[in-house]
Amino acid sequence: MTSPIAAYDLGRIAYREALGFQHRAVSARAAGAGEDAIYFAEHEPVLTVGRGGTPESLRASDAMLKARGVEVVPVERGGDITYHGPGQIVAYPIVALSALPSGRDMHRYLRDLEEVLIRALGTYGLSAGRRPPYTGVWVGERKVAAIGVAVRRWITFHGFALNVDPDLTHFDWIHPCGIRDLGVTSMRSLLGSAPPRAEALERLCSSFAEIWERPVTKLSRLPDSSSTPSSETLHA
Amino acid sequence: MPVTIVVPQLGESVVEGTVGKWLKKEGDAIAKDEPIVEIITDKINIELPAPSAGTLGKITIPEGTVAQVGQQLGVILAPGESMPAGAAPGAGAGASAGAAAAPPAAPQRVPTPDAGAPQRGAGAPTGTALEEPQSADGRVSPAVRKLLKEHNLDLSGIRGSGAGGRVTREDVLTHVEAGRVAASAGGKPPAAPAPGAPGRAAVPAPAAAQAPLKPIPGPSMVAPGSREEEVQPLSNVRKKIAENMVRSRHTAAHCATWDEVDMTALVNLRGRLKEKIKATYGVGLTYMPFIMKAVVRGLREFPVLNASITETEAHYKKYYNIGVAVHRDSGLIVPVVHDADRKTLLQLAQEIEDLGGRARADKLTLNDIQGGTFTITNAGMFGATASTPIINYPEVGVLGVHLIQERPVVRDHRIVIRQMMTLVLSFDHRLVDGTPAVQFLHRVKELLEDPESWLLDSI
Repeated sequence: MTSPIAAYDLGRIAYREALGFQHRAVSARAAGAGEDAIYFAEHEPVLTVGRGGTPESLRASDAMLKARGVEVVPVERGGDITYHGPGQIVAYPIVALSALPSGRDMHRYLRDLEEVLIRALGTYGLSAGRRPPYTGVWVGERKVAAIGVAVRRWITFHGFALNVDPDLTHFDWIHPCGIRDLGVTSMRSLLGSAPPRAEALERLCSSFAEIWERPVTKLSRLPDSSSTPSSETLHA
Repeated sequence: MPVTIVVPQLGESVVEGTVGKWLKKEGDAIAKDEPIVEIITDKINIELPAPSAGTLGKITIPEGTVAQVGQQLGVILAPGESMPAGAAPGAGAGASAGAAAAPPAAPQRVPTPDAGAPQRGAGAPTGTALEEPQSADGRVSPAVRKLLKEHNLDLSGIRGSGAGGRVTREDVLTHVEAGRVAASAGGKPPAAPAPGAPGRAAVPAPAAAQAPLKPIPGPSMVAPGSREEEVQPLSNVRKKIAENMVRSRHTAAHCATWDEVDMTALVNLRGRLKEKIKATYGVGLTYMPFIMKAVVRGLREFPVLNASITETEAHYKKYYNIGVAVHRDSGLIVPVVHDADRKTLLQLAQEIEDLGGRARADKLTLNDIQGGTFTITNAGMFGATASTPIINYPEVGVLGVHLIQERPVVRDHRIVIRQMMTLVLSFDHRLVDGTPAVQFLHRVKELLEDPESWLLDSI
C-alpha cells in the first residue's frame, strides 16, 4: 500500500462546520471520488456527546454554557462527552479501512491511532501510554489525548483530540464519569511550555506514515474552504 | 429471499457491540450499502451498510441492546416479499442470509445479550404457550417419537416441560419411571403431576392406595414457573464502579482486621455540642469529622497506611487526603477531603457535609474526587454492624465504620451497657504487614474512646 495519504490543516474552524465537512468527505470517499486524508483542526470551545454519552455526563449548567457560547453537539462517534477548544490539535482521518494495515479490525484501528499519538509524544521525550480498558493516550494517570471514532461505509471519520495547550479548567464542565476517573493533562503542563502547532502537526504526520505504512503528503491548507471534496450528502 | 442483517466480525478482540441507533425504521426502503444501524463497541461507532436492497422487514434487536458478533439484528425483504407468517425468523448466532426462511428452532420472545445460546427461561409453560401450539399437535422430536414407540405410549397424559409445553425425552422417561413406581405400589400410573411442579414426577407415598391426596397449592400470586427477568444496560457510572472494584480485588491482597470501639464518651460529647454548633454555624456535627481526625493521627504514626503501591514502588504520601464513600442513587462515589490534617473539626464537618450534598446532586468536580490517600466508608449509616470494604485502589487501606449501638460489655468484672461500634480495616497485605495494620486500628480505637485527650489540640 503505497498511495499517499493527504494531510490538510483546516485551522481554527467551528465544530459544526468541521462536522459537515467530515460528512461530505466521507460521502465522497465512499463514492470513490475522494482521497484518503487526515484533516487537522482546532475548535472554539464546544462539548460533543458521543453515542456512549448520557445527559448526566454534563456538569456545567445550561446558563453557564450559554453565557460562554459553548454548544453541546450530539455526534455519531463512539464514546462519552468530550471537550474541544483552542489549544487542541484535533485530527479527523477520513480513510478507507480496507487500505489500512488494520483492515476492518476496529480495535486494531483504535490501538493504531493511540500508537500514532504515543510515538509523536515520544519525540518530545514524553513517555505516553495506554490505560486499558480505557481508550485514549495517557501520561501517568492523566489523559493527554481523547479518541472517538465512527465508521460509515467502512470509511473512518471523527478521530482524536490532543491536548497541546488547552485551558484545562474547561474539562471541569464535563462529568468525571466514575468514582475515581483519571484526570486530564496537556503537553504544556508536561513539558513546561507548549510546542509550536506546526511542529506538532509535522510530527503527528510522520507518526501516521510510520504506523499506517503509507507516505503522508506535506501538510497543506485546503485551497479554498468551499471546495470541499464533494457536495453530495447522504444525511442532508 | 429475506436477507438477515448480522453483526459482522469487527476485529479479533471484538465479540459484541451495543446497538446504537436504527437509522431506518421497519418498512423503510433501503439501498444496498446504505447505513442502516449503528453498532457501538468501545469508542467506535460503526454504521452497518445494508447487505442488500429492499425494505427493512423487521428489527430484531432494539436500540441499546448488546448483540453478539454473528447475531441477527434485523431482516431485509426484497421487493414484493413480506415477512414469513409466524414472524421472528430464527435469531441464533451465525444466522446468515437465507437462514430466515428456515423454520424457527424455538420461539424467542425477548432478545437477550446471549440470544445466541438456547434460552433457558423460555421453556417455562407460561408465556410461550400462547405463541406455540401445545404438544397435543404431536410436534415432538424424532428421538421422543422413537421413545414413545418403544414404550408403547402416546402423548396423552404426559406433561411436557419443554418450550411451549412440548414433551421432551426426560418427560417420557419420567412418565415411564413414575408408572413403574406406581405399579409396584399396586396403584395405577399417576395422572399429570400437581400444578406448580411441572415436569417433575409426583412420587406417590407408600400408602397412596387409600384416600386420594390433595395437591399442595402453590402461591396464587405468581404464575407457575415464571422466570421473568429485566435486562438493563449498565450505566457508564456503574461500568466504572465495576471496573474499579474488580481492579482493586484482583490487584490488592485484601486482608481485614477489626476491633470494637467504646464510643460512649464521643456520643456524649457530640450530644452536648451538636445543637449549639448547628445553631451557630449551620453545620450538622456527625461522627465522621471525629473519626477523620483520629484516622489522620493514626496515619501519621503508621505512614505505611497512607500510601499507594505499584509493581515496583511504594509511594508514601506526606499529605492526608481522606476520601469518604457516599451513596448516590446512580452509584457509589468517593469525594476527597484534601489536607484533612490542616483543617479543624468544624471545617471538616462543613466540608464533609458539602461534598456529600454535591455528590448526591452530581455536582462534584474532578478535583473533588482525585488525590485521595486513604478512605473511610460508613456502612453504619444504613444499619450495618460490620462489613469488609474493598480498598479504594491504588490506596492501601480503607476503614469501615458502622452502627453505634448499646451493647453489653465487661468492665471491671461487671457487665455494663456501652455505646459500641465495630471498626474494620481492609488493608493491602502486599505493602502493609499485619502488625502495623492492627496497631493502626488500635490507635484509632484509643483516640475515639478518649476524645478529650486529643481534641484540645485539634480545635
